Amino acid sequence: MSVFDEYKKEIMDAAHNDRIRLALSRSINRYRPNISEALKKFPQTVKLAEEVREIKEKAIGNMEKLVEQACQAIEANHGQTYIARTAEDALNIIGGLVGSGKLVVKAKSMTSEEIGLREHLEEGGNEVYETDLGEFIVQKLGSRPMHILAPAVHVPKEDVAKLFSEITGQELPADVEVLVATARKLLREKFFKADIGISGSNVVAAETGSLFLIENEGNIRLATGAPPVHIALVGMEKLVPTLTEAWKVAEVTWRFANYTIPQYVSVVSGPSCTGDIERVITYGVHGPKEFHVIFLDGGRVELAQHPSLSQVLYCLRCGGCLYECPVFGVTAGHFGDKYFAGIGAVWAAMITGDKEKAAALAYTCLTCGRCKVRCPMKINVPEMVVELRRLLAEGA
Amino acid sequence: MNKKTDGLIPPGLVYVADNITSKQNLLGAPKETGARWAKSLNLPQEAETIFFAGCGYQYNASLQSLMSMIRKLDKSPIGAELPMGLAGFTKKLGIDPAQIYRRLAAKDSDSDAQPLRDAVGVLKELGVEFGYLAEDEPCCGGILHYTGLEKEFARNARNLYKTLKARGVKRIIGIVPSCTYTLAELIPKHVPGYDLEVKHFLQVVLEGVESRQLRFPREVRVVYHDPCQLSRYLGLIEEPRRILKSIKGIELVEPDWTHGEWSTCCGGGGGFEVVFPELSQILAVNRVKELVETGAKVIVTHCPGCVMQLEDGLKAMKVKDVEVLDLAQVLAMAMGG
Repeated sequence: MSVFDEYKKEIMDAAHNDRIRLALSRSINRYRPNISEALKKFPQTVKLAEEVREIKEKAIGNMEKLVEQACQAIEANHGQTYIARTAEDALNIIGGLVGSGKLVVKAKSMTSEEIGLREHLEEGGNEVYETDLGEFIVQKLGSRPMHILAPAVHVPKEDVAKLFSEITGQELPADVEVLVATARKLLREKFFKADIGISGSNVVAAETGSLFLIENEGNIRLATGAPPVHIALVGMEKLVPTLTEAWKVAEVTWRFANYTIPQYVSVVSGPSCTGDIERVITYGVHGPKEFHVIFLDGGRVELAQHPSLSQVLYCLRCGGCLYECPVFGVTAGHFGDKYFAGIGAVWAAMITGDKEKAAALAYTCLTCGRCKVRCPMKINVPEMVVELRRLLAEGA
Repeated sequence: MNKKTDGLIPPGLVYVADNITSKQNLLGAPKETGARWAKSLNLPQEAETIFFAGCGYQYNASLQSLMSMIRKLDKSPIGAELPMGLAGFTKKLGIDPAQIYRRLAAKDSDSDAQPLRDAVGVLKELGVEFGYLAEDEPCCGGILHYTGLEKEFARNARNLYKTLKARGVKRIIGIVPSCTYTLAELIPKHVPGYDLEVKHFLQVVLEGVESRQLRFPREVRVVYHDPCQLSRYLGLIEEPRRILKSIKGIELVEPDWTHGEWSTCCGGGGGFEVVFPELSQILAVNRVKELVETGAKVIVTHCPGCVMQLEDGLKAMKVKDVEVLDLAQVLAMAMGG
């Protein structure tokens, strides 16, 4: 079977899967009223989003400089920094830092998904736990994330109950509260026994080297706070010049990501330290002693040069577009590679995938444009997809 | 097209693209068939303002039977790819199996293109003067652009402009949303000095229609489905609603969330339906569900692709008491045509 035939079979199976459709329709029906309520409550978000688009445009044109600046700032804060030109470089750097035989707790990170980090560390003989609830479910199912923010968007609660019953050996009801409590119990000790915590970042302020981490669950605070080592993998498109700008990016991100107000925002700029005894600065008090940040290029610098496709780098990964895509609504992340739907086709072509897969995704986009209406960055996905089709058709 | 191209563009789109470049319509049918609907209307072929009918409405019946064939194949173990690839191949040998099938399956062509006859009637009633190029109407080539065949699209665009200029055309009244967007926004990018004024039918008739007493033949609850290219591409969201609201007897309702710029695609966008015929039908059914949940008995839309998809969705759902009408048909009925 050709790549296209295989892919078409996969999305048609998904489209005929009632479980996927049930879970997705529940999520979409919750997302729309939530976001509309959030924008009513915080109407300034719309204007702020326009400002953030300008911030991102400037930052993307200046990525290399911002990375340099961020590295200097983080090193000054006693962190270690690395620039990975390719996914393979990033895997080698992180693999080297982690070693083998370690217990690793992971916060959810699409960038780590992009380079296949968990699999790489597991192959290296480490025990790796995804600690985001959705990601944990997906990991235990042996599946892959089907939404950038809600990885288990395609799994209804009944299926989660079945999965957790198998893991615990107890008969668990399809009661969300019980299921959440079970996850807490299963992961609790892992946070404190872990040798290493791994995270991504939603946005990074270059001037201070500060990583912003937005969440509700509290797993990121634990995963990046409890273990003695914190490793962060960050795509270079996440950089903006200043702390003030980073806050703006963060606010727009969480609002469109359906958080309205996030329960937690962590701002991490270096390893834990104290000067409380005789003003002697000592590292590794209650938080990690080591803080490593890997900035990933992986095709981003080249992509930033493209007149139309560079728009993908403005993406805040809020996932709003996915709820508006009619094809995603019946296939979930099967319409995708590492990233999903129309914008995912561009990522597949430029960053992660091969051309055949990218083409299959590009021709699955309806070019209907509803994603663009939702997108806080007003990314013109149909235009990019048609441009991508042209590049692929012309063999460029 | 080189080998690489053939590999990455799905066969269904290669077939349609080839129809456009070789026969100037997406079906690859003789142009005379497309122009048949206007035979009795006596529209002048020479005019400064022309009505651009587009493939979608002109070949509607044939497209419908072709889609029904492709969908059947796509659901069968054969799949749609091989036959679509084969159709392209045998056509090069001078045999076009799809053409043969169409001739056998096409429904009575009298019912074809009713929205076009109605749109022409409305324009005439409002005193708009225009002509129609009939078999000489070129294809806008939009599908070439959406397929990624930009060089072919550019060539088609330049030829189209030359043809229209040679005939003294200055203004175009478009009706198919996609053709209108292509003529207004995409073609100018490839034609330096492009000076054709392009307006959509709704923009031309809006004021004239609103100043009239309009009454639908019966009391009916209507839901309006926004075609993507009309709403999100051309920005014509209020116009169709203003028209529908001005017609007595029509109660206009909207689905939750999914109307105007948030409208859900019918599942037939940018050639999607020939690449994923079965999935496209699933999406049509989903959209129809959103629309019929409003309790409307008539779905009004204004795009030949949407009409086809929504009718197919209703059929697949076995809904018998809801019908799909084109806005041009509704207008003609309300004007007593």
